[in-house]
Amino acid sequence: MSQAADAPSPFAGSWRELPRRLATLWRRSLQFRTVIITLGLSGLAILLIGLYISLSIASNLFQDQRERVLEASNNATAAAQGLVESSDASDPGSLQLLMNSVIGTISSVSGSTDFAIFRHPDAPANPNAPPGRRSPSLSGAIITDDLRDQVQGDPDGQYWQSVALPDPDDDTVPGIIVGSTLDVPAAGRYELYIGYDLTEAEQTLSFMQLTGIVGAAALLALLSAITLIVVRWVIEPIRTTAATSRRLAAGDLGVRMPVRGEDELATLAASFNGMADSLQARIRELAELSVVQQRFVSDVSHELRTPLTTIRLAGDVLYGQREDFPPPTSRTVELLHTQTDRFERLLGDLLEISRYDAGSVTLATEPTNLVHLAGDAIESMYELARDRGSELRLVAPGGHLEAEVDPRRIRRVVRNLLGNAIEHGEGRPIVVSVDSNESAIALSVRDYGMGMTEEDAARVFDRFWRADPSRTRTIGGTGLGLAISLEDAVAHGGTLDVWSRPGEGTVFRLTLPRSADVATLVSPLPLEPEDAGAEGPPPTESMGSVEPETVVEIDHETDSEGVRDA
Amino acid sequence: MTPRVLVVDDDTALAEMIGIVLRTEGFDPTFCTDGTSALAAFRDTRPDLVLLDLMLPGMDGIEICGRIRAESGTPIIMLTAKNDTADVVKGLESGADDYMVKPFNPKELVARIRTRLRPAPDPVVETLAIGDLTIDAAGHEVRRGDERINLTPLEFDLLLTLASKPQQVFTREMLLEQVWGYHYKADTRLVNVHVQRLRAKVEYDPDNPRIVMTVRGVGYRAGATT
Repeated sequence: MSQAADAPSPFAGSWRELPRRLATLWRRSLQFRTVIITLGLSGLAILLIGLYISLSIASNLFQDQRERVLEASNNATAAAQGLVESSDASDPGSLQLLMNSVIGTISSVSGSTDFAIFRHPDAPANPNAPPGRRSPSLSGAIITDDLRDQVQGDPDGQYWQSVALPDPDDDTVPGIIVGSTLDVPAAGRYELYIGYDLTEAEQTLSFMQLTGIVGAAALLALLSAITLIVVRWVIEPIRTTAATSRRLAAGDLGVRMPVRGEDELATLAASFNGMADSLQARIRELAELSVVQQRFVSDVSHELRTPLTTIRLAGDVLYGQREDFPPPTSRTVELLHTQTDRFERLLGDLLEISRYDAGSVTLATEPTNLVHLAGDAIESMYELARDRGSELRLVAPGGHLEAEVDPRRIRRVVRNLLGNAIEHGEGRPIVVSVDSNESAIALSVRDYGMGMTEEDAARVFDRFWRADPSRTRTIGGTGLGLAISLEDAVAHGGTLDVWSRPGEGTVFRLTLPRSADVATLVSPLPLEPEDAGAEGPPPTESMGSVEPETVVEIDHETDSEGVRDA
Repeated sequence: MTPRVLVVDDDTALAEMIGIVLRTEGFDPTFCTDGTSALAAFRDTRPDLVLLDLMLPGMDGIEICGRIRAESGTPIIMLTAKNDTADVVKGLESGADDYMVKPFNPKELVARIRTRLRPAPDPVVETLAIGDLTIDAAGHEVRRGDERINLTPLEFDLLLTLASKPQQVFTREMLLEQVWGYHYKADTRLVNVHVQRLRAKVEYDPDNPRIVMTVRGVGYRAGATT
């Protein structure tokens, strides 16, 4: 391949793209397609009609010309015959003169200078007879043997043949040669051929053809323009409909189509508007219902708060004096106290969920270090974990940065995940991991406990859902914790995922964008743990010494902050 | 002398229960069950502190809060069933010193009341300067030249805390602990709203503060003395 061919031409791209673009246009634009189809089909029709007209005109024209030519030739032959019959020349000199005047007569009567005269092969030899003559334009094999045979065979007949006559420009023009017989009494029989030039007819024909082609092209252009206009006429309302339904789909329920006239397009617009009306009415109805329901939940929650406060105060006053009561009463007061707490949490969660349902949640974000937040959360859950025999570990290879999150909500999520892990962790260690990449920060809580089946894991974020209804809630979750955590994650533009296998434990992974303008979220932590199936995490010592990670061990006795860099 | 607490709440059971708790803790509670008579009750009893429910029949709590604040610096603690941003901020802006979200427990209630009623710690020095202001710590007075500026006890505490360590930047959490007595993570909006209220009283131009300076991303500090 040559150098030039290898070098990309600046226009190569656009030329190469042209078919693809046209194909796209064909696929996408109804207008383009309609115009092209109209153009193609009417072009074909015009071509066929044009060909037919052109052919029939050509043959008519030729017939006309031929008849004229035959008549002229006939006249010329008759005039020449008359001339030779009235002559009495017999010697070579006067015969030659006669021949000359015959030629003159033929020329003037037929109107053509192209002629040829041959002596008939059957004529008796006569030394006085003048030889044949021919004009230069009829030289060579232009007069075919077929024609000559026909003329020779029938002295009274008149025969013709279409030929290409040479013209002064070394070109050829269409013509006709007419052959007949001339009897010279003193010299015998001669063949007479007269050539006629048909240039004029051909010019007429080609002029007509040109006119026809120009007319056809103009007609096609006109047709295309008409199609374009008509299609645009029809398409424009369809485009409007498409744009309107797009806006409707995007949530602009108030859009309507203009209805003009009473045609099909007006019907389309009217029925579209009808659809939009009923859609809007239905959505408004649902929205009102939903608002009413949300307000009801919110009001109920608020209304419950005042009596609950009284109960709470009363219960706490009693609880403060429980040592003065006999044991059954004392226990009753304890139960009252703990259950009031639980009721309060439930009410709080219910209110939080109703706030999310009503869409009235606003985040109070501030730069927050997720590693520190996780450390604080672990510390606050330390005693609960110790009671269950679970060791809490924090592994933070990354995430030591200030992410823009709402710390109160994220703290709530982490505490909730930790609570779940402790409750279902069967006393085995629990590993909290924090890591980050350029766009996201993630926190996962891994337990090595009983785990769940896939079906259960899929429902774990459902409200008030329990994996096993017979299983008691020992830590006293409300059943709304994970649902709220998921809402918290989503409100941050993040995700909360779960991985779980029966007998292998559970992983909850929270992924949050580092700032609000992150488009796609790629979690820096894997969802499925690398040590899936393990009984527990590797011993802390090896983790701390092998990896250049931050391993944070929560140790209440020695480290009150609960965070120590390895 | 037992501190008097005016409890404004339309729920009689809750008011009574709060009364029992307060009496046990050595306070002298008086009650008012509707909004319209709250202001009269306040003028009659001259309480040391007001517990004010935000949702009241008659006049709503925010309105009452503003009216009390207009005539007195008496500490006001709002009781609210809603901790939605708008309501709380509205209450704080109308002059409440602190708020409690229902349901609260008695310990919390008493702790909040005690913090607001505690006598200011004995000042180390008699007078302090902040910006072009003079603080008379013993006399609970703030002056600009000869002009006396009227501050609520809370605003005075806030200004005194900042002025006592002019070199230090106070985070919102530190102020919550030292001025409001919160020892755990609390609502930093309390600080924001009260700094705004304080600035409105002491600054020449609250949008361009010279006395209570903002340290971006950290908190506040006292302006240089002039």
